Amino acid sequence: METLTIAIAKGRLGKKGLKLFEETEYAIEMEENSRKLIFNNANKTINFVFVKPCDVVTYVEKGVADMGIVGRDTILEENKDVYEVLDLNYGKCKFVVAGFENQDLIKQNDILKIATKYPSYVDSVFKSRGQKIEIIKLGGAIELAPLMGLSEVIVDIVETGSTLKDNGLVVLEDLDPISARLIVNKVSYRFNYEEIQKIQKVLGERR
Amino acid sequence: MRFRTITQELEKTKIKKDIKRSIEDYFEKKGFSLIEPNTFQDYGDFINSTVNPDLAKSVKVLGGDSQIYVLRPDITTNILSQIFAKWDGKKPLKVYYNSKIYRNETRGKIAEDYQMGIESLGENQVNGDREIVEIALNLMSKVDKNYILELGSSNYLDSFFKEKNLTEADELAIKKLISRKNRDGLEGKLQSLKLENTMLMNILDMQGSMEKVITMAKTYEINKEMKKAIHSLESLNEYFFDKDVRDNIKVDLSMVPDLDYYDGVVFKGYCSNKPTKILSGGRYDKSTEKYGLTVSAIGFIIDMNVVTEIRMEGEN
Repeated sequence: METLTIAIAKGRLGKKGLKLFEETEYAIEMEENSRKLIFNNANKTINFVFVKPCDVVTYVEKGVADMGIVGRDTILEENKDVYEVLDLNYGKCKFVVAGFENQDLIKQNDILKIATKYPSYVDSVFKSRGQKIEIIKLGGAIELAPLMGLSEVIVDIVETGSTLKDNGLVVLEDLDPISARLIVNKVSYRFNYEEIQKIQKVLGERR
Repeated sequence: MRFRTITQELEKTKIKKDIKRSIEDYFEKKGFSLIEPNTFQDYGDFINSTVNPDLAKSVKVLGGDSQIYVLRPDITTNILSQIFAKWDGKKPLKVYYNSKIYRNETRGKIAEDYQMGIESLGENQVNGDREIVEIALNLMSKVDKNYILELGSSNYLDSFFKEKNLTEADELAIKKLISRKNRDGLEGKLQSLKLENTMLMNILDMQGSMEKVITMAKTYEINKEMKKAIHSLESLNEYFFDKDVRDNIKVDLSMVPDLDYYDGVVFKGYCSNKPTKILSGGRYDKSTEKYGLTVSAIGFIIDMNVVTEIRMEGEN
């Protein structure tokens, strides 16, 4: 049988994903303190590779990984041609528009400035709204943007909302819900249909 | 790092040419004639004849007559307007093409790619389906031993939606979830629309061997059009029943074609070592209406870049 490769997002989200494989035939065999980037399960039917979250989607779309575990925020931002077969039900949060209270979001003819880490996603959301926008791409600490007068609102992922609150911001609108997902390359899905269904079932029962 | 010399470059060009020639010979042996598309298309015609034209990607040219033209962005619509201007639809017509298409790339460059394909017009549906699917399978088997033809029917889903009178937005949302194979999202959406007891809840299970899927699809209460969709798959199943290629066909009724102009069997071809489809096509009878004649029409296009890549790797 062919070995399948699963790309895992580095960090908390990926670690939790690996936990779902524990005590199954797919459990990863890690070496402590190793700098290796590729690992296997005991019977070597799976390769695990660890990459940056945004690269998980690219690896899967380009077929160098058959499957991937990554947050839906990354999937929506990257908008690549992959199957999104399973909601892993953890890492739950949501995309929101946030800013100061009592703001009128639709400004005729004026440009709404939006700070975000997710420019493509914001573009796709506001495209159909007839609102001119300027997207200001930031690398982090998005909440700072309205405070510093860089933007009027932000689009970001929010779990509890406490960071917003601490900075005097409120959720103005809920956008898409987010959680960790199992994604699959379209060609690999067809060629390894049975095996992928099996993995999907194992993860589905343990999520 | 070393670069190819001009001699090596010419050697590669020869291999590419041979690959193209062998496919062309095969099409001609099957009774298809070469058709040359026009290089420039009237901008107005292009917008009217194309479903969801991607205007930003089309390369515009200003003619000496101050008219705007498009450097052909695809070939099917281009040759169809040529054909229907002169054809009465009485005798079946089989054509193939192999020409360049042009589109604007994201960084302002103009990309040119070869597109090759065949169209069979006016042939009866059953024979047309069989012939075109068989040619697709044969072509793929010559490219790579390990290949799969994914076969579906756009009519099965579309006819179901026609009966349900959903809003366009809901239908689109459901189709998108199905095309992403997003079962969790689909179940949630269907529950919110009270459609959880319909065939849609199991559409993602309708994948696999022809027998399995056909049997399964029949168990649901379905309308006449859906029955016709299953019937056309059955007729293909019958035809390929005792042929070697049968195991290379996988049916997927949850396949949602990228273009809504298909109305019958649709298919995509995959090879094991390439992450993208190498050919795709289907039946589009209703789309011929706008040319003034409704005839049986089916065809496919081949991604020559990928085919050449696979064959070149083989040469090495």
